[in-house]
Amino acid sequence: MLLAAPAVLVVAFVVVGGSAMVGAQSLGLMPLVGPPHLSTVAYTAHAGDVVGGAGLSLVIAGTSTVLACLIGFTAALVMMQGRWCGKLVAAMSTLSIPVPHIVGAASVGLLLADSGLLARIFGAAGSWPELVGGPWWLAVIFEYAWKESAFVGLVVAGTLATRSVSYEETAALLGAGRLRRLRHVLLPLSLPSLIIAGTIAFIYSFGSYEVAWLLGRPYPEPLPVMALRLYNSVTLTSRPEAAAVAVVTAVVSLAAAATALALLRKIPLWR
Amino acid sequence: MKPALPMRHRTMPAAAAAGLLFLSSCAAVPAGQPEAGSWEEVISEAQGQTVKLWMYGGDEQGNAYVDEHLIPAAAAEGVNLERVPVADTKDSLNRVLTEIQSGTADGEVDLVWVNGNNFGTGKEAGAWSCGWTSLLPNMALTDPADPMLSQDFGTPVDGCEAPWSKAQFTIAYNSAAVPEPPTTLAGLLEWVRSHPGRFTYPAPPDFTGSVFTREVLYSVSGGYANVPLAFDEVAFDRLTPALLKELEDLKPSLWRNGSTYPKSSSELDAFYAGGQVDFTMTYGPAALTKLVADGIYPAGTKVLSLEEGTVGNASFLAIPSTSGQRSGAMVVANLALSAGQQAKKADPRIWGQFPVLNPGALSSEERALFEQLPSSPVVPGYEVLSRNANPELAAGWVTALDEAWRRQILAGS
Repeated sequence: MLLAAPAVLVVAFVVVGGSAMVGAQSLGLMPLVGPPHLSTVAYTAHAGDVVGGAGLSLVIAGTSTVLACLIGFTAALVMMQGRWCGKLVAAMSTLSIPVPHIVGAASVGLLLADSGLLARIFGAAGSWPELVGGPWWLAVIFEYAWKESAFVGLVVAGTLATRSVSYEETAALLGAGRLRRLRHVLLPLSLPSLIIAGTIAFIYSFGSYEVAWLLGRPYPEPLPVMALRLYNSVTLTSRPEAAAVAVVTAVVSLAAAATALALLRKIPLWR
Repeated sequence: MKPALPMRHRTMPAAAAAGLLFLSSCAAVPAGQPEAGSWEEVISEAQGQTVKLWMYGGDEQGNAYVDEHLIPAAAAEGVNLERVPVADTKDSLNRVLTEIQSGTADGEVDLVWVNGNNFGTGKEAGAWSCGWTSLLPNMALTDPADPMLSQDFGTPVDGCEAPWSKAQFTIAYNSAAVPEPPTTLAGLLEWVRSHPGRFTYPAPPDFTGSVFTREVLYSVSGGYANVPLAFDEVAFDRLTPALLKELEDLKPSLWRNGSTYPKSSSELDAFYAGGQVDFTMTYGPAALTKLVADGIYPAGTKVLSLEEGTVGNASFLAIPSTSGQRSGAMVVANLALSAGQQAKKADPRIWGQFPVLNPGALSSEERALFEQLPSSPVVPGYEVLSRNANPELAAGWVTALDEAWRRQILAGS
């Protein structure tokens, strides 16, 4: 407890202090010009766009997280096989983790855009699918799914490596086939780490702006992109609105974390 | 002792509010006149100061000009100049506003390449030092009667920024794909309708997309003379319906049927380079020469000359009120205005930014510097480009038009 105190204090100062500042700005208590004045105007100014943006962010983060969990879990299973292809998948996952999201997004853009590398190679200019800046946000979802699946895969593989071998051997000796072992041994063993890694991936994709900003379209906007646009707007009154959007983003993220914790409590392995 | 607590509770918010009020009232007043009374004092105070110039970093030629020409010249005058690249000038303004909010007196930003509503908003919030440009000896080389240098998008400059470059909004096209180019903006819109999918413009508030909508506003209003430069609600309500209707009608003929727009002018430039569209647009036409020479833009790239002219403006160097290196920043601003630096900057092989100096105020040697500059096979000279130059609308217009465009054209899709 005492050992953790310095770290906890620093983190608490930044998180609590920062959140309080954002909250105060969103309520009009820290205006750039004019006297401070308590109001909820910032929250209602773009209410429709905020609700739409929250929905869009949820869909993007949700879809990419589900994909990342599916791909990551599969990758973890392949890594557990230990053969050369397992090592290859592990190496690829380890390599893609340190690539920053903004670099990943720029690369995906250069690859998949209308005048990107693939469109030029296939000579498909004009008939290239609308992946970047398209109505389905495919490039954004693809980028998050790719990056986060590597993260999910390594976390799950780490859990499985320490626990699964003996259980799996026992199950195999008792005559369980591959599917049964997957359902009754591997999946339950990896579920807690899958939920934790998935929640981290979800909150990250929900709250970060650079990928959606680089690969998305200008309207509608996910919440973080909207917050950044308002924060950078030349209109002096829009900073409280940006803070309000940030507060909404934080509340949804907190709710996601709480849901994940509630789910974890129901899993026997976690207790 | 008991009442002490509620008392404190009552006074705390009041004290906090008073503190914030105090801070914001400090901020609202520009940091006063320069303490230095004469240029000599400024120069001696500037020795050894480190000036951080915040400027848009996406223009490689601009970066190279500052690194290879302005920084060494500043060093020769005893000032360490550092270039801080930003993705958008708003980032610099935001930094200054944040510093004002936190009461910083020696901030990270000492000089900003700025104009338009970034300048206007900053002036409103007390972000700039004012009244210092009259001290600069090289201000004598500019034309005091030039409205482009005394008004920045309708905001009086008031000595809060020193002129640096002139710019001319330019539309470029691929003459291989457009053999018979339109000659007016209305003609361009007509061309767009008859060639669906081959044209688009960046989504405002992108700087270039935003000026394109203002050009269309001039066009549908029957010329810039019919649009009052100062912003008022009445004129806005009277003039914008025609503009929004025109842009709404144009949508089905745009790239991807107008269901979306490029987010930035660099995205549009990439579409043009990749052959997705046949037109692109820019405030810095000088860059076109190099883009064509490097094979990035099609060899047939030409500048579209419009009969009614296009919008021209000037950009400036401003010193934030939170800068602790003001004398050094003034020395750099003065240096940037010198004939030697302006001529280097105007060289299309270096940067190709149009000079702000008044040829009549230059000596014959100084004038020769400009006459020696090579001409470009792609871009006509500034005197041709700026023929019939249209004035910029006030910053109030820009914000209101961008917002209306966002609400009706972008969100309405």
